[in-house]
Amino acid sequence: MQNVQSTNPDVSGEKAKIAIHLRDVTVSYREKPVLRSISMNVPKGQIVGVVGPNGAGKSTLLKTMLGLIEPDAGEIRYHDQPILESRHLLGYVPQTEAVDWDFPVTVLDVVMMGHYGRLGWFRRPGKRHREEAMQALETVGMTPYSKRHIRQLSGGQQQRIFLARALCQKAEILFLDEPFGGVDAATESAIFILMDDLAAKGHTLLVVNHDLSVLDRYNQLLLLNQRVVAYGSPSLTATEQNLRKTYGGRLSLLDQAEFALKQEL
Amino acid sequence: MTGINVLAEFDFKPELWAFPFTYLPEGLWTSVLVGVTCGVLGCFVVLRRMALIGDALSHAILPGVVIAFLLTNNTGIMGLLFGALLAGLTTAVLINVVSHGSRTKEDSAIGIVFTAFFALGLILISNLPRGTHFDLKCFVFGIPEAVSRDDLVLMVIIAVVVIGIIATLYHPMKLISFDPVVATAMGLPVMAFHYLLMGMISATVVAGLKTTGVILVVAMVITPASAAYQLTNRFWQMLVLAGFFGGLSAMLGMILAFTINAPSGPSMVLVATLIFALSMLFSPTHGYVFDKLRKRRIRRHIEGEDILKAVHRIQHSGEEATRQRISDRAGLTLKRLGSLLKELARQKLIQGQDNVTSLTDSGHRRAVELVRAHRLWESYLVDEANLDPENIHLHAEQLEHAHDLADEVDRTLGHPRHDPHGSEIPESGSR
Repeated sequence: MQNVQSTNPDVSGEKAKIAIHLRDVTVSYREKPVLRSISMNVPKGQIVGVVGPNGAGKSTLLKTMLGLIEPDAGEIRYHDQPILESRHLLGYVPQTEAVDWDFPVTVLDVVMMGHYGRLGWFRRPGKRHREEAMQALETVGMTPYSKRHIRQLSGGQQQRIFLARALCQKAEILFLDEPFGGVDAATESAIFILMDDLAAKGHTLLVVNHDLSVLDRYNQLLLLNQRVVAYGSPSLTATEQNLRKTYGGRLSLLDQAEFALKQEL
Repeated sequence: MTGINVLAEFDFKPELWAFPFTYLPEGLWTSVLVGVTCGVLGCFVVLRRMALIGDALSHAILPGVVIAFLLTNNTGIMGLLFGALLAGLTTAVLINVVSHGSRTKEDSAIGIVFTAFFALGLILISNLPRGTHFDLKCFVFGIPEAVSRDDLVLMVIIAVVVIGIIATLYHPMKLISFDPVVATAMGLPVMAFHYLLMGMISATVVAGLKTTGVILVVAMVITPASAAYQLTNRFWQMLVLAGFFGGLSAMLGMILAFTINAPSGPSMVLVATLIFALSMLFSPTHGYVFDKLRKRRIRRHIEGEDILKAVHRIQHSGEEATRQRISDRAGLTLKRLGSLLKELARQKLIQGQDNVTSLTDSGHRRAVELVRAHRLWESYLVDEANLDPENIHLHAEQLEHAHDLADEVDRTLGHPRHDPHGSEIPESGSR
């Protein structure tokens, strides 16, 4: 941790613009590999779509990138800092199903939570924090709803308030977990416009999505099925062949070999 | 459940309750403090869906209490508290170990660990040296007469510490309860918070054992907090309300117990349950009472609009809108019509001399809007929903009251001029 500062001089100008750097990240769950050797570099201000079938390791990748799961091997850096030093940079927008919408909090309460990581255990949010939260709500166009209970929001609005929380947190890198689940096409497009807006302001967004209809809306695409099938701009990666590789044939030869070896032991 | 056998063995004697009134203050105030503290802590238990853990902790601290008693050879407060804290935290850790270290799911892990601890406690008690006085009954059922001044002092300290901690850590604790994933990602010590909560519950429950007993004390944790949950959408309000309900249940429960000569723990629990039942009835969002009121308001609104339309039709046909005619058209009794007409007049939608009613300008606009909505919806039902034009009138009668949507229907249908029956659809805002 201490030598972070000393490595900085080696970093070239070009590398400094990399917001997300993953090198050979491998994660296993009970000795079963879930992610193998994931590597990618995401430049600042890009929107990356992470696409893959169920069980491809999308949510494991997300949890690992948020520092909730320790990878077995590999390295994750944000703005060339290790996770532990960049936690405050990471904002998370949960899946709507994962949120307890009956929890007694208002829209503003949720956005204010963005401050708590910085405030730590004992400091209390003050007027300045409130203003920043209102500003974040303004950015996502939710100002009139600040006093509403979170249950009284539509699907698109629910996404927006969690985006506002991430903005309030001053997160540079935003992780969105299935933001388009249960929203209609118009809302989906509105969320994309908002995401473009945030990317233009210098945020880097990583969007986990199993829906294949909007692939060309991303700047970069990560086709994931336990390993990286393809990573790059959608025009190059979203080929039929790649998609078939991602979604078809769940068990690759390598997996079968591993399984067979285990049986023999 | 776990108490049944103990109940048979230890033979509960209600006549014990004829104890001197002077013992009451300690028991009463300790119970109230237990109620308040359990209520506040209960909010976290309820919101984090840990009700089963609350039950588990209250049972699992028994061996801790007995071991503390064996070591110190009295029911000295500090010893019992530390015994309970140790047992409570060990339980929480073991539950975690079992549920994460095997395929056992968390609810089963909780069941396995707490019953084991409770069983261990019972065996320890049965092996206490002869002649030692350990009142198990007191811990299983709670006997406020056994509450001493020391107990009260301890409970004051526990209450102050617990509420102080929650007041200080209010914000991070709210985030951790609401969204543990993000809290972890932000670097907040989520597990430390979990064990802090377990510790606070154990401490409160050990104090509550003497007032409510091990079996029922979980009700003081869950029930007041659940009642508060029904009534508010603000976290701090929930904490305050739950604390208040907890204290109130304890106070009223004690009074009830004395008036009807019943054990106090169960009385407190029943009072808490009653408060919960009332909260279900009066919940502003899902409660029966407000639901009825809301439905009544909507019905009156619809009937009012029906009257406007009836007056409009009658006037349109060149007749005078007498009460009898309106009543016939709108299908309302004269009595009901009278009260509704008064309300419409207050809203300046109608004016009337004697028996004849007429629409004001705004009443007329509203009536046209309704006619427009009705005809648009009829068109929609035929064109988009493919219903038979003969059968749509009744549907449209209901749908017309959703006239805010009329413009959207109009757009969807491409601004039709006539409805399926050939009647003209008025322009939006026309008179």
